[in-house]
Amino acid sequence: MKLHPDQFISILTTEAFHHRKAVVAIFVVANLMTLTLGVLWPKAYTASTTILVEDKKIIQPLMQGAAVTTDVADRSRLARDVIFGRKIMNQILEDAGWLKNNPSPSEQEKIIDNLIRQTKITNTGRDLIKIEYKDGDPERAFKTTKRYAELFIAESLNAKAAESQAAFDFIDQQTEAYHAKLTKAEEQLKEFRSANLDARPGSDADIGTRLSALQLRIEQSTQDLQEAETKKKSIEKQLSGEAEVATVLSREGQYRARIGELQSQLETLRLNYHDTYPDIVRIKHQIEDLNEAIAEDRKQREEARAAGRVTIDDSVINNPMYQQLKRDLSQVQINIDTLTARIAEAKRELTMEVDLGKRVHTGEADLAELTRDYQVNRDIYQDLLRRRESARVSMNLDKEKQGLNIKIQEPAVLPLHPTGIRFIHFILGGIVLGIGIPLGLLYAKVEIDRRVNAGWMITEKCKLPLLAEVPHLWSPTELKTVMRGLTWQYLAIIATMLIVGAVGSMHVMKTFML
Amino acid sequence: MSKIEKALNKARTAGLLKVVPPLEPSPQTEPATRAIVPHPEQHLISSDAIAQMREKALLGKNVLSENRIIYPEQAENATVRAFREIRTKILQKTRGANCTIMVTSVTGHGGCSFVAMNLGAAFAFDAGKTALLVDCNFRNPSLQTKLMPEKTRGLTDYLEHPEMNLAEIIHAVGIERLRLIPSGGRREIPAEYFTSARMKDLLDDITRRYAERFIILDAPPMTETADTRILAELCDYAVLVAPYGKVTESQISACAKVLGDKKLLGVILNNEPRPPRIQWRKIFLNPISVLWHNRTHRNATK
Repeated sequence: MKLHPDQFISILTTEAFHHRKAVVAIFVVANLMTLTLGVLWPKAYTASTTILVEDKKIIQPLMQGAAVTTDVADRSRLARDVIFGRKIMNQILEDAGWLKNNPSPSEQEKIIDNLIRQTKITNTGRDLIKIEYKDGDPERAFKTTKRYAELFIAESLNAKAAESQAAFDFIDQQTEAYHAKLTKAEEQLKEFRSANLDARPGSDADIGTRLSALQLRIEQSTQDLQEAETKKKSIEKQLSGEAEVATVLSREGQYRARIGELQSQLETLRLNYHDTYPDIVRIKHQIEDLNEAIAEDRKQREEARAAGRVTIDDSVINNPMYQQLKRDLSQVQINIDTLTARIAEAKRELTMEVDLGKRVHTGEADLAELTRDYQVNRDIYQDLLRRRESARVSMNLDKEKQGLNIKIQEPAVLPLHPTGIRFIHFILGGIVLGIGIPLGLLYAKVEIDRRVNAGWMITEKCKLPLLAEVPHLWSPTELKTVMRGLTWQYLAIIATMLIVGAVGSMHVMKTFML
Repeated sequence: MSKIEKALNKARTAGLLKVVPPLEPSPQTEPATRAIVPHPEQHLISSDAIAQMREKALLGKNVLSENRIIYPEQAENATVRAFREIRTKILQKTRGANCTIMVTSVTGHGGCSFVAMNLGAAFAFDAGKTALLVDCNFRNPSLQTKLMPEKTRGLTDYLEHPEMNLAEIIHAVGIERLRLIPSGGRREIPAEYFTSARMKDLLDDITRRYAERFIILDAPPMTETADTRILAELCDYAVLVAPYGKVTESQISACAKVLGDKKLLGVILNNEPRPPRIQWRKIFLNPISVLWHNRTHRNATK
C-alpha cells in the first residue's frame, strides 16, 4: 500500500525520534570517519601531455600507390604497448629519480607496476594521444610525464623506421629468390628448344597437312590399282577366248571358192547346153577334183591334230586381235606394278609422319609447362622489382622522418593543484552520509517492517475500528531524561561539526602554507 | 471537553467544590469500608452516592505524572486527549449506560494496564461518573503494584472465600471516583476463577449497583493465555490494545476475530513514541543550562 507523503513523514519523524540515539551516533561516526579519511587521503597531482600523431602528410598524395606509409590504428593501445615496455619504463625510472635509493629489482618491478597503474593513456582525438600521470609529488609527476612523451616519440619513430627497413629487406630477399628462379626457367627453356628442333610452334599443323595428303594419295593409288586389276582380268578373259594364231582354212576355202565359181559356171552353161557339152563335162571334172583335194586336206589336218603338231602351212597367219590384247595386258601389268610400288612408298611415308606427330605432341606439352613456369616467374619478378623500389622509397621516407609526423601538441606542465577527491568532498560526503544513512535506514525500516505503527493500518488493512492512537505518556522523570539525552545528542552533533570545521580549516591552511 | 467540565475541574482543584471533606488518610479498616460501601438494598440517588464516596488521600499531580496516570489538568496533553476520545466513543456506543469493558492487549507488555488505568481515570474525570478497575491479570498484577503498593485482599481472595464481603475488596486509590479491585494473591490458573459462578455474580453485582459506574477489567494479553476469552464472555465489551511497532496486522486481526465484532469496541494503538512537548528552544540555545538545571534538581531531590 502506498503511503501518503504526510503519513510517511509523520511515521518517519516518529521513528527518527524513537531511534534518536542511533541516528545521532551514525551522524557522528560518519562525519568523523570521513574526516579522518579526508585527512589521511593521499594527495595526487596529475600532469598530462598531448601528442599529435599525424601520418596523413603532404608526401602521401605524392607517393600514392608507390609508397605505403605504415598505418597507426588505435594509437592509444599502440602507445600503451610502447610506453609500458620495459625499455621506456627503465628509462623513466632512471630519469624521474626513482633509482635514487637504489631499489632492488623486485622493488623496481613494484615501482613500474605502480607507474603503470597511475598512468592513463587515452585517444582524445583522431590523431591525439593524451598521457596522464598521477603522483603525490608534483615535480615527479611533471618529469615523468615529460619523459613519457619524449621517449614515446623517439621510440615510435625508431620503430617505424625499423619496420620499413624490415619490409624492404624482406622484399629485396624475395626479389633475389625470384630472379634465381627466373634464370633457371629460362635455361630450361633454352635446353628444351635446342633438344627439340622440330618442336616448333605450328609444326603440328604441317604434319597434319602432310598426313592428309599422303592418305589422299594412297586412296587414289589404291583406287587406280583396283581399276587396273579389273582391266587386267577383263583382258585375260578376252585373251583366253582368242586363238593364238588365226588358222584360216585357206586352201579348203580356196577350193570351196573355186567350187562355187565352178558351180555358177556350170549353172550358167547348163542353161544353154546339155550335160554332155564339153565345157560342162570339164567343169564337172574340175569340181570333183576340188572336192577330192578338200577331203585330202582335211585328212592331213586331222592327222596333224592327232599327232599334236601345229601344222603351219601357208595359210596360217598371226591373230591381230590377240596381238592387240597381249599388248594391252602387258601395258596393264606395268601399270599395276607402278601403283603397288607407289602405295607402299606412301604408306611408309605415312608411318614416318605419324611418328613425327607423336614426338611433336609430347614436346609441345613440355614446352608449354616450361613456358608457363617462365612466364609466371617473370611476372612475379617484375612485380617484386616494382615493390622493392616502393619499399626503398618508404624506407627512405621513414629515415628522413617524413612518413609519420609525431610531435608534442601540449607539453607537460608542473601541476599546482592536486586532483581527484578533495578534502572538501570528504567533508560534504560526511554530512551527506551522516544524514543519508539514518534516513535510508529509517526509510527501509518503514518500508520493510510489517508491524503496525500507524492507526490507518488498523482501519484500512485490518478493517477494524480504531478507538485512538495513544501517544506515549511521558512522566516528568522520563521527560527530564529525554531532555538531557536530547541535549547531549545535540551537543554531540555540535561538537562533531566543530571538530570537522576545525580540522578542515587546519588542513586547508596547511595546504595553502605548502 | 465541555466548558462545564472545565469549570468543574478548576473548581475542584481550587478546593471550592468539596462536597465531602476528604477523610483522614487512615488505613483501611473493616468498619470504615463497610460504612462507605452502601448495601445493595440501599438504592441511593447516584449523585448523592458519588458525593458520599469516601476517598483516600488524593494523590498529588506529581505522583500521578510519575505513575503515568492522566488527570484533568493535563488538558493539552495528546495522551489525555486520546483517552477522552476513547471515553467519548465508548459512551456513544453504550449510549451513556454503564457496562463492563475488558481491556486486553495483543501481546504481553503491550500497555494493557496503562490503558485500563487511564481509561478508568478518564471516566472518573466526569464528576457524574465513577469507574471501577478490576485487575484480572493474576500472573502480572501491575495495577495492584502501581496503585496499591501495600498488600491487600483482592479478587482471588474474594472468589476463594465465599464468606467475604464485596466491600472488603473495593479500594480507593487516591484518585477521585476511581476504585480498584486488586487481583489479590498471585494465581497460576485464572481460568478456574473466571468460570466460577461467583465471578459472574460479582460482575453482575458491581455493574448493577450504580448506574454511573463503569467497570474496567484489566485482562491478560490475548496471545499469551486463553483465559482472556473466558473473561470476554463475562464482559459487555472489549478493547484491544496494540502496542506500537510490536505486532503485525495479522496478529491484530486474529485477536479481533476471537473477540468478535459485537464485543469489540475497537483497537487502541498504544505507546506511539511521538516526540513530547519539551523546550526545544532551550535545548538548542542554552544546552548547558538544561544539564545544569537537571543536575541541581537531582541534587535537590536527593
